[in-house]
Amino acid sequence: MPKPIHLNRAGMALAACCSFLALPAAAQAAAVDLGTASPFVVLGGQEVSNTGASLLNGDLGVSPGTSLPGFQSATVNGTTHNNDAVAAQAQSDLTAAFDVAAAEPLNIGGDLSTQDLAGKTLLAGAYGFTSDAQLSGTVTFDAQNDPNAQFVVKVGSQLTTGSGSAVVLANGANPCNIYWKVDTAVLGSTTAFQGNVLALTSISLNNGASVIGRMLARNGTTSLINNTLNNSSCRSTSTPPGGTPPGGTPPGGTTPGTPTTPPGTGSSPGTGNQAPPESRTTVRTRNGSAILRRTPGGSCRDGFRARVRGKKIKRVVFSMDGKRISSRSKSPFAVSVRGSAGRHKVTARVTFTDATRAKTLKLGYRACSSALLQPRRGPSQFTG
Amino acid sequence: MSHRTTPTPRLPGLRRGVAGVALLTAGAVCALATPAQATGSRVAASQPLVALLDGHVARTGPSAGSRRIEYVKALRPLTHVRTFLPVLGYATSNAGNRWAHVRLPGRPSGHTGWIPAKRTRRASTAWHIAIRLSTRRVTVYHRGRVKRHFSAVVGKPSTPTPRGRFFVEEALQLSSRDAGGPFALATSARSAVLQEFEGGPGQIALHGIDNLSGAPGTAASHGCVRLTTGAITWLVRRVGAGVPLTIRR
Repeated sequence: MPKPIHLNRAGMALAACCSFLALPAAAQAAAVDLGTASPFVVLGGQEVSNTGASLLNGDLGVSPGTSLPGFQSATVNGTTHNNDAVAAQAQSDLTAAFDVAAAEPLNIGGDLSTQDLAGKTLLAGAYGFTSDAQLSGTVTFDAQNDPNAQFVVKVGSQLTTGSGSAVVLANGANPCNIYWKVDTAVLGSTTAFQGNVLALTSISLNNGASVIGRMLARNGTTSLINNTLNNSSCRSTSTPPGGTPPGGTPPGGTTPGTPTTPPGTGSSPGTGNQAPPESRTTVRTRNGSAILRRTPGGSCRDGFRARVRGKKIKRVVFSMDGKRISSRSKSPFAVSVRGSAGRHKVTARVTFTDATRAKTLKLGYRACSSALLQPRRGPSQFTG
Repeated sequence: MSHRTTPTPRLPGLRRGVAGVALLTAGAVCALATPAQATGSRVAASQPLVALLDGHVARTGPSAGSRRIEYVKALRPLTHVRTFLPVLGYATSNAGNRWAHVRLPGRPSGHTGWIPAKRTRRASTAWHIAIRLSTRRVTVYHRGRVKRHFSAVVGKPSTPTPRGRFFVEEALQLSSRDAGGPFALATSARSAVLQEFEGGPGQIALHGIDNLSGAPGTAASHGCVRLTTGAITWLVRRVGAGVPLTIRR
């Protein structure tokens, strides 16, 4: 008699094996857009403190707090915003981006709770930790030659990186499109970190840690100790995943198909990118898109639901036969349409949050016979 | 007792006041008018209605002390659909109660009254039917524009179709054995000659020609307006309770 196969053991072995392999990507996630927080390399809520000769290539800001101690010894190649309108707006946009990141659906197998990020290769998509996340070695983000690939790592509590740990990019991954949504983050000394940390509370960088990306804290403190932080490669645009990578080539000199050298071991991101910030010109993207669809289901008699889907939609004004029937400024951009029998034209005027030109979408609608009245039966008692 | 009256909506086809009276009484003048002049250019795009959520006592004025006219049921007697009445205006009594001036069904044909606005629901219709007896022609308006013309059989001289402003009380489907099928629009108008007919109150309707004689464009009915099957079918699919009806010479 053949020996039965223990499927559970096989499955566990397979799962364990796969944990060292690339984790699959899910469907394209929503774009995280930092908005006016993009120029900031460091942003804090109550305070941003510094110790030693930190180098910041990018804006520095704090809001609603006003405390910026220790920056006499630091070099800031950017503008400092101490609780001004710019910093306040950046905080607002950071909150919006944080919420978008938090809402990203996880990839299949994207729940990495209790696992160490070290040794993993993450493909585009979202990954999550219900509590703390640990990076004790090197984690690789692989864009699979998609320059628009977006990565979101959602950490329920604290992200901690060990001393000398590193974030490595492969196959065109862009650090500007990596988002670490955390409660708090603590980067160990000499960590070579890449990506944007969006922290609910605070961020601490230990001695010598370097960052290509941004350290953005909403409510608490961001503290630096002899760190090098650089977001110059991310600043020329707001860098939604649909946009062109800044500078035309993937940041960090990453060549598609070739994994990058860990920043901590090769060309350090802190020492290799000390050029002063480029002259800043605000480039408004044109990534808006919209389609108008009639939602299936429901009979003609009950009308139908017209919905506009797309990206960067600011407002949709629905009209039927030239008469305005509804205006929507937030999702879902939808309206129930019910017209009398006959032909009708439903139009949706769509405006976008970016520089995309407004467009008018049209949808023909013909009420079928079931939309007509159905009189009840009754007696004939008329004069005739 | 004083009260505030909201503007009365403009009613189709007729000038109000002296001009309206003149138009109704000066038959010779009206007979010279073209159908377009008589029915075409002044039909309101929308007619306000009220739906009765309960039965209401209609009175001669907008106050509880005004003389009682009749009791209007919340449901129509033939098909038991909700009662819809055209609204001519609103008023607020000294007691602060809001009243609606409405057209009422039944006799005398085309009479109006006031009902409390409480336990009613506002509605409106974009449809309007106008009938010109001299040309035996039915014109249907939607949003103030002509949608269809139909030729019809109207009342013969001995049992004429009453003239005035009325409304559709209810739409109904008749059986194949009934005279006037397959559909009928029962109106608020009543025959001035026949006080009772076929067990009914002499009610005027727009209906079909099943089991009836008479060619469209003639005056041969007992007061009702007969339409071809295609015409009445088109009409009942679109026109429901409360739609105003104007019948002219």
